[in-house]
This record gives sequence, C-alpha cells and structure tokens, in this order.
Amino acid sequence: MQVTITVNGESWDLDVAPADVLLDVLREQIGVKSPKIGCERGDCGSCTVLLDRRTVRSCLVLAVEVEGHEVTTVEGIGADRLSDLQELFITLNSFQCGFCAPGIVLSATELLDENPNPDRHDVQEALSGNLCRCTGYEPIIDAVLAVGQRSGEVTP
Amino acid sequence: MVIPHDFEYVRPNTLEEATRALADCSGSAQVLAGGTDLVAWLRDDAVHPDLVVDIKAIDGLRDLAVADRTMTVGSLVTFTDLMESSVVAEHAPLLSEAAETVASPGIRNRATVVGNICSAVPSCDAGPVLLAYDAHVHLVGPEGFRSVPIEAWFVGLRQTARREDEIVTHLTMELPTHGGCYVKLMRYGGEDLAQAAVAIVVDDAHDYRIAFGAVAPTPVRAHAVEDAIRGRAPTEDVIAEAVAMVRSEISPINDLRATAEYRAHMCEVMLARGLVAADQRRNGDGPEYRTRLI
Amino acid sequence: MTTTHPFEAEAERNGELNAVGTSAVRIDGIDKISGAAQFVDDLDFGPGLLHGAVVESPHAYARIVSIDTSKAEDAPGVVKVVTGQDFPYNFGMYMGDRYIFAQGHVRFVGEQVAGVIARTHRQAVQAAKLVEVEYEVLEALLDPKEAVADGAPLIHPDLGEYSHVPWFFPKAGTNIAHWRKIRKGDTERAFAEADYVLADTYRVPRYAHCAIEPHVTVGKLDHAGRLTVWTASQSPHTQRHLFAEALAPLGFSHKDVRVITPYVGGGFGGKAGVTMEVIGAAMATAVKGHPVKLRFTREQEFYNTYQRQGVVAELKVGVMNDGTITAVEHTLYWDAGAYVEYGANVVNAAGLSATGPYRVPNIRNDSLCVYTNLPPGGPYRGFGYSEFHFGLESHLDRVAAAIGMDPVDFRRKNAIVEGDELSYGAHMNPSGLLPAIDETASAIDWGVEEQSDDPNTVIGKGIALFWKAPAMPPNASSASFLKFNEDGSVNVSVSGMELGQGYLTVMAQIAAEVLGLPVEKVRVETPDTDRNPYEWQTVASHVTWSSGLAVERAAVEAREKIFDVIHQVYGYEDDTLYLADEQVKCTTDPDFAKPLRDFVIDGIQTEDGTWRGGPIVASGKFMPEFTNANSDPETGQGGHPNVHYTVGACGMVIEIDTHTGRIFVRKAALAVDAGKAINPDLVRGQITGGLVQGLATVLYEDMRFDEDGRLLNPNFTDYKIPTAFDIPDEMIPIIIEVPQPDGPFGARGVGEHTMIGAAPAIANAVFDALGVRITSMPITQEKVAQAVSASPT
Repeated sequence: MQVTITVNGESWDLDVAPADVLLDVLREQIGVKSPKIGCERGDCGSCTVLLDRRTVRSCLVLAVEVEGHEVTTVEGIGADRLSDLQELFITLNSFQCGFCAPGIVLSATELLDENPNPDRHDVQEALSGNLCRCTGYEPIIDAVLAVGQRSGEVTP
Repeated sequence: MVIPHDFEYVRPNTLEEATRALADCSGSAQVLAGGTDLVAWLRDDAVHPDLVVDIKAIDGLRDLAVADRTMTVGSLVTFTDLMESSVVAEHAPLLSEAAETVASPGIRNRATVVGNICSAVPSCDAGPVLLAYDAHVHLVGPEGFRSVPIEAWFVGLRQTARREDEIVTHLTMELPTHGGCYVKLMRYGGEDLAQAAVAIVVDDAHDYRIAFGAVAPTPVRAHAVEDAIRGRAPTEDVIAEAVAMVRSEISPINDLRATAEYRAHMCEVMLARGLVAADQRRNGDGPEYRTRLI
Repeated sequence: MTTTHPFEAEAERNGELNAVGTSAVRIDGIDKISGAAQFVDDLDFGPGLLHGAVVESPHAYARIVSIDTSKAEDAPGVVKVVTGQDFPYNFGMYMGDRYIFAQGHVRFVGEQVAGVIARTHRQAVQAAKLVEVEYEVLEALLDPKEAVADGAPLIHPDLGEYSHVPWFFPKAGTNIAHWRKIRKGDTERAFAEADYVLADTYRVPRYAHCAIEPHVTVGKLDHAGRLTVWTASQSPHTQRHLFAEALAPLGFSHKDVRVITPYVGGGFGGKAGVTMEVIGAAMATAVKGHPVKLRFTREQEFYNTYQRQGVVAELKVGVMNDGTITAVEHTLYWDAGAYVEYGANVVNAAGLSATGPYRVPNIRNDSLCVYTNLPPGGPYRGFGYSEFHFGLESHLDRVAAAIGMDPVDFRRKNAIVEGDELSYGAHMNPSGLLPAIDETASAIDWGVEEQSDDPNTVIGKGIALFWKAPAMPPNASSASFLKFNEDGSVNVSVSGMELGQGYLTVMAQIAAEVLGLPVEKVRVETPDTDRNPYEWQTVASHVTWSSGLAVERAAVEAREKIFDVIHQVYGYEDDTLYLADEQVKCTTDPDFAKPLRDFVIDGIQTEDGTWRGGPIVASGKFMPEFTNANSDPETGQGGHPNVHYTVGACGMVIEIDTHTGRIFVRKAALAVDAGKAINPDLVRGQITGGLVQGLATVLYEDMRFDEDGRLLNPNFTDYKIPTAFDIPDEMIPIIIEVPQPDGPFGARGVGEHTMIGAAPAIANAVFDALGVRITSMPITQEKVAQAVSASPT
C-alpha cells in the first residue's frame, strides 16, 4: 500500500505491506535508526517515537495507520542543537549503554511539553514504560527534574 | 520478530462502510482502534485475520462528555483522554484512576477503553470500573444499533457479547454523586497487569457497587457483598462483614503472576482499604484520586 | 618500559592528577543522546542482506529421529536451510560441550535444531515453521539435586571425552561437569569445638540479564573466503577465537575471521563468550557472498542465551561466643543447564570464594556444576557471588543473633583484611572493607530504631558485605595501541567493550593523565579485531584494571618516545621532562615548553635542517604474571587463581506493608572499594545501577519453568524488571579508595560488585522488620505476606 508519512519534518512516500509495523519501516525504509527493537510487544519502550507529538510504541503501530501523520524521533529533536534535556542527560550520566536513551528522551520530551515543571512522581509516571537496565533511573529522573527547574527559573 | 502473516487493511470513513467491510469479509476480520493488543497478538501469531478494519477515520467515535448525569465514552477514547479530561475527573473519577494504572503513557496514548473491554482479558482494568459504573456498551452491526449492559458483556475468557460483524460505538453510564476507588494489585510499582483488582462506587445513601477483576474468567460484580452492606457506612464491623464474603464472590486461579490464595487475600485487603477510601472520597476527603491505596 | 610502577612514577612526577579522579563527561555522550550511536542492528548491509530464523526444540530432552527441511526449502524467498549435519562440530569456552546446531539430541526447550536463511525476515520466520522434526522424548532433569542422585539419566554421556581447561574436574558417568573443592584446616573438629553451629539451606532461582538490546549478529563470508561477523558482544576477540575454532574444519585461520563490535546495548555478562553469535556466523558460511542477519526475539533472548544459574546452597557455620567464625562448610549445587562451557567457570569462581569476605581458618567448600535440561547457564554480573552471598550473608545475621552479637559488630570482627590467608592459601590484597562497613552503617543510621507513622507498615534495616575477584584464566590479558595525530590529539585502540559502564571514557582519562592532555583530546572507539589489539573479554570487572594498565603502559611508552625526541634535539635529560597542558616541559628550564602538536607527527627540525622523531606511536600490554590455576583438585590448595578481590558493604532501610507484603525500599546505601575511582561519577553510576539490578533479583524477578522445562515468562510482561517507580526513595553511593598496588593509579573494578549485596541486605532487613527469615529468592510481596500470616505473632 502507498502511504505518505512525515518523519522529522520530511515527507516520505512509501510502499508498505499492511503487516509492516512503523518501527520496521522507520528503520529499514527511512533509515531512522534511533527507535530500537527491544521487545516488539510494547513492554520496553525502546521503540518510542512521537506520533503527532504524543509518544507511541512504534512496534505496536502499523505503518499504514500513520498515513498523513507526523512522526518525530530523537534525530528530529536534537537535529540543530541538542535540547536542554539531552545536554543534561550527558552531564548527569543519565544513560550508560544508550540503547534506551532515545525512547526515554522522547517520553521525557512529551512530559515536559505538557508539564514544564514536573515533580518526581510525574517523571516516574512518564518514564514508567521505558525500561533501562543500566542506570537505576535515578540520574534520568534527576535530569528531567533539572530541566523542569531550569524552565521554572526562566518563567517563575 | 515480524508479523508473520499478511492481511488486508481498510480504513473506512463511516460506520456503515466499516460494518459492511466486516460483513463482506469471507474470512476472519479484526477491528483495529489503538492496536496495542491487536498488533501484539498479530506479531505473536495469536490471531491471523484476513482483514483488519481500522476505525480511526470514522467520525463521532471520540465523544467524551456528560449530559444529564450520563457519561458517553466513544470507542476511540484513549486512556490518556480519560486521564486528561476534567469531565472524567469530576464525574467519573474511577475511570481516570484506573486509566493511570494501565501500562504506561506510550500505550495509553493509543489504547482505548473500549478496546480494553473488547480484548476482555480477565485483568482488563476498565472491566471492574465499568461494572461498578453500570455501563452500557453500544454496538452497530448489519442489523442496526443495540446496547448491552456491561454485566452481560463479558461472557467468558476473552469472550464478549460482540458479534463478529459488530463494532462498538460508545459506552454510556449513568453516574450518581459518588465516591469510589480502583485498587489494583501489581507485582511492583511499575506497569503490570492486574493480579487482582477491585472497583468500588458508593453514593450518598451508602449504596455500593463493587466489582473485582483478575480473580475469575471475567471481571465480576459482587452483588452479594453490595446487598449485605447496603445503606451502612463502612465501619469496622461493616468492613469485616464485607471482607468475610469476598472469597465466595471470586474464583481466583494459581498462575505465575500470583497464587489463588494471595489473590483472595489481597481482594480482602483491597476491599477493606477501598471501602474506607471510597467513602472518604465521597465526603470530599481521604486520599486524592490516583493515589495508590496499596 | 620502566621498572618503577607507572602509578608511582606518575604520582611522583605530577604530585596531583588532572584527568584521573575527575568526573570527566562521557566521551560517548553525544553519540548516544543524539541518536547517532550505532548498534549492530543499526548497521546497513545493502540489498544482499539475508535474514535468519531458528527452528527450536519444543522438548527439554529428546533424541532427534529425523529432520525434514524440504517444505521449508521450497518456501518463498528461502535461500538455504541448515541443520546440525552441516556443522558437526563441538566447541566451548572452557569446556567443549556445545554444538552450533543440535547433534542427535536436544537438551533444553528452545535449543536450535535448524536454521532458515531467506530474503526477508518474514519469509525466514514463515519457513522456519515448515521444518519438520521428529523427536523421541526422553526423561528430562530439571533439578540439580535430582541430577546428582544415583541412577539419574545422563545428559552428556560423553562428558569424559570433552576437552576442558586444566582447572575443571568433570566426573565422567555423572551429570557433574565440574566439582570445585576447597579443603582448609579441619572443619569437623572446628564444628565440634565451636560454641554455636548453624546449618541451613538457601535457594536462588535462575535470572535473566535483560539487556535492553537483544542479541544480534550479522555474518558475511565474502567471495575471497574471509568471514566477518558484526556482533553485539562483550568479547570480540574471544568470539573470533571461538568462531575460528568451532569452524576450523571449514579452513579458517584466525587472521581470516574478523569480529566488529559497535556499541552494545547492555551486557551484564549475557553478551560475554558466545551464545547465538555462532549460529549467525555458521549460517553465513552457508551462503557465501551474502551477509546474514540473525536477531533474537525477546523470547529467545530469555530462553536461548546464557542465564544466571540457579543454586541450592547448603551452609554450615561455626562460631565461638566472642563472635569468631571458626568454620564454614558451603555446598553449592548449581543448576548449570544443558551446556556448561562457560557456566562451569561461574561454579569454579564461587567455590573458591564461598566463605565471603571473612577470615575463616577451617573451610570445606564444594561447588558442583550440575547438568540439567534447562537452558545453558553462564555469566551474569556477580558471576556466582551474587548467588552465594544471599545465603551466606543471611546466615551470618542468624549466627550473630544466636550468640547475641550485633550483625555489624560480628562482621567487623571477622572481616578479611590485607594479608589474611584466603581459602586457597594465597593472601588478601589491600582492602577497604572496614571503612566500607562503617560508612554504610552510618549512612543507614544503623542501631537507630525507626518506627513507621503508618499502622500498616513496619520498618527494618539490613546490612550485608560482599567481595568478588575477577574470574579469569590466570593469563587473561589486555593490550593497547596509541597514536598521536597532527594536532596533538590521540587515538587509543583497545578491545574492551563500552557496555555503558564508561570504559571508553576511563581509558581516555588514563591516557590523558599520562600524556598531560585534556580528556577531549583522546578518542577511544569500539573494537574491530582486525585493527585493535587483543583483549580477552569485557567481563569480570577487570577492564579498568587490566585494560587500564595496558593503556597506561602504552601512554608511558609514548611519553618516553616523546622525551627521547626532545632529548635528541635539545639535550634535556628524560628525568627532567614532563608533559602538561599539551606541551613538553622541563623541571630545570622553566622557559622550555614544546607543544606536542608541533612534532608528534612531523618530528623536530634540528639546526642542520634534518629532522628527528616522527609519528609517535606506542603499545602496551598487561598480563598478570603472578597467578596460576594449578591447585590440588581435592583441596584447592596451591594455586593463586584470583588476581585480587574488590570488597564493600550494602545497607538497606525498608518499610513493609504487613497486609500486602509489599516492601518499599526507603534507603539503599552501598560502599565499594574502587582502589582509585578514575571517574567518580561513573563509579556512582555503577552503584545506582547495580543496586537496582540487585534489588530486582530479590524483590520480584525470577525465571519460572513448567514441569516440562518450558520457560513460562520469557517476556517483560511476566519477567518484571524495574521501572522508574521501582527504585529506592534514596540511594547513597559511597566510594572507598584503598589503592590496589598493581592497578592503574590504584584502581580496581567495581562493576559487578554493586549488585551483590542488595539481596541479602533485603533478606536481613525483612527479618529485622518482621522477625521472619526467608531463605529463598525472590522475596516477593506475596512471599512476605504469606510469611506474616504464617508467623505466630
């Protein structure tokens, strides 16, 4: 089937099968590799992308469903300049192996879009579907809270 | 692992087209809304439809509103919609309380409450809440519209009253002024399927509606408990009476998630704590909605 | 190479450190946060890429009667179907008991029986379902105690014929693949003379690593006959060696096998050695000219890669009334699974050290590696130590209580210190165990009783000590190349793996320190066995130490070459020269400062117009030259198998809901003796990550098998790994620094140690809170609730 999908601001006309999931199409047909294959059943969150600015599991979305919609991955978030969140992830060691990092950045980005100054529970809730086996989460939560505090400083 | 089987995909714009597509399909068909269950099942090869009918382009399935104390929840309303709706928070707070326990944001942004009861796994979080809210499920099929009371909806393990050529359009529920809670047993703090759950609604006359999840092949309403404590505030004695009846209302199993004994024990604990919290909330105090009670 | 140890020379010369000991920002940070970092599955291989799928055994133990691949071969897109007949070779890391595809028998549910190679992934998956295999089902053994019983069926009747390393002692004609014995002193007499003796049994189930990146491999045999394998691996050189060995009948030389390992999405031991990669490599040899990708599903990840072995631990400890431990008998029955080529070394390591970090005069350890018809066991962060510490540290709390001693005082009294004799006769290295105990106890306000405000909950505190040595062949080694670039920046080549622990950053810091460079001027990348020098494996928490020494030595060699050029041209003596601020400076001539970028490639022009020097390149290697594994098989005495131990302590404050059984971890403190924290933030990252991983093993994770040996929870739906909600309210990482004399700048490894203490500390805190002792892992909320309702109070 022919579909048109916008990915990180670029429009793509693609030929996909109904059984192709968005994750595979992003990785194999578009070459966007930051959404990772981790469990393929919606449990781990490493395939997280923003679909019309909201996080989804790209392993649980058929590519044909995305016709006419807009997908954003971490390549699109930090294309010109890393976001504050990404900067803080580096300085606070908020990732180790880095495999879950793209998905976590997107989940945190969605949270901060909706709620610029979240509390610890909000952050935990927002990240609760993104599994990280390396960090123990503490440095991730710290980074997201730190972005919130920064934004709080700018607009009290 | 890829989805191993090919299938046809259509995205109709009207209910009529959608029901016709289902009726015309010579093989098996599946309705696709959020897809968080269906795509996982496709990938696991647990279902192999010839046709998938995506209903997301159909207008009018996203209603989420209250009129004359009756709440309407369209079949494309997601759990995130429930959590973000001030109407739900005000009139049907158990829906948002349960929604927050469903998986995680990336799932809730897609998964629909109607999809949850169509999948009808015993642990479905919407089941006990809709039972406690006495919801009605509205469907459309080749023979037109019909509605099914939620208690007649769940007919068995993963089985519902929906016929294969029908599409659920929306849910309705008449809501009294009430307090309530949805309490869910999980193995840890993170996302998990319910090992047991209870939804409780109590109105100003201390009329209770109580339903359990994940402790029988379907979510179950605990009428006997409700009848026994009707009209009485949840004092220690009343709670003890209610708790003593729990085990005759449920039929939990042993599986790798929990033993039957622990499920039964936790239904007692959750009911005891839930009755107190529900009544406090009815009074405008007690733990805020979405605060975990266990 | 200098005879003085470089660390001492360094300290002497600089007086202070500039790169080492700082929390330098990760050098892989931008890659990983921008989406640029490439993992194996992210690499592109063009339109010729083929995809593999594996046909798996549905039985725990069966004889293969026949395999019919004809329908699969005729399926759309299928290029080739291979079976065990195509690769009738056995191999293994420490013992040759493994096969690429099953040979005649299958020994666990999920074992690979055949492989299908097709043009698309979907075609491969579809065709794999068409391979028809007929089995004769045999009686399976799922429990190690049953498998060691007299008359148990044999899982490997050919055990006596397998090759193995000299420090393994297989018992042919049984299911015991290795039996590590330690006999020291006279335990019988010590127990007879002890004031108090306690014996009990502890059980630890199997666990899964759950790196978020699944195993994936791409193999390509090109038309010139060279085999390249891209793998998600902790062990590129060991994999190259095992591929070359396993496929040797096909005519490969090591130089013709190339392993490339880009970033790895977590390892934890699960990507050490070789698991599914050998299947991918073998499949590639069947379709010359085509790259073949094999990516395991999450389910396969659970049931057909290494698992942490289960263990039944029978423990007996004798003490005097003053708290002195006089004897320990520890018998460990390991559920090692169907193939033990790596797992047997876990058993070995545990057997050597099963007394824990204590001074024990009389020891009898028996660590038995038992074949079962469950998936192969193998390395997992902690390498046997996580497993036995649960029972040991639980037991010591009970012993202390029985003689009326505070558990912290009891541990302090018996804690091993430098120079104490180890179970196998060698002596303990310098160690900060006592300060670790004290700082941990203080962090959790040990001795201060806390009451909960919530009538439904009770509070408890627990403490546990831990130790662990790298478990390696005695001659496991590391090497490094270093080269300067025109601008004075440096590329360092090593073959350790960046698993997330920050290895690349730490290596850059060590090179930067020696060479007087900012860390940003050092690039270290992931390995390619063609280009990068040897590293045994990135396991055992040894690379900071071992590879760090190799890098330090390469940097020292480079520095000597730099000084030599300066000496040739300007006449300054080497011992007056030093590197700082990207310049060569001289202690006797404060005006001299020669920027490195001026000469490290082009050399220095002399007065007569000729040039001296040239590109500065160097190498370094490290192999421990004081270890040997030649101990007496019956007593374990006489060898020096372990290079050193890293020690520490873990403390927990928990709150338990007595109705639900749920445990809330309010505070978790962990002190580990890093010797020298090359990068303190990265050490703290190991502590928080390890703590949470360790907590998960005790609070909710475990692998569940049915009576037919089938794994019931091969997914994150039912194998619960922690989420952002499942962490302690507060984590307190404590770094102790008692230098390791032979470590780079005094460093030793800490990666695995951080997950060892959590389980027993929780068990002890549960006892403190409830007075109930739970002797099996995990201590789930359900188990706690049961224990509460069963307890007399």
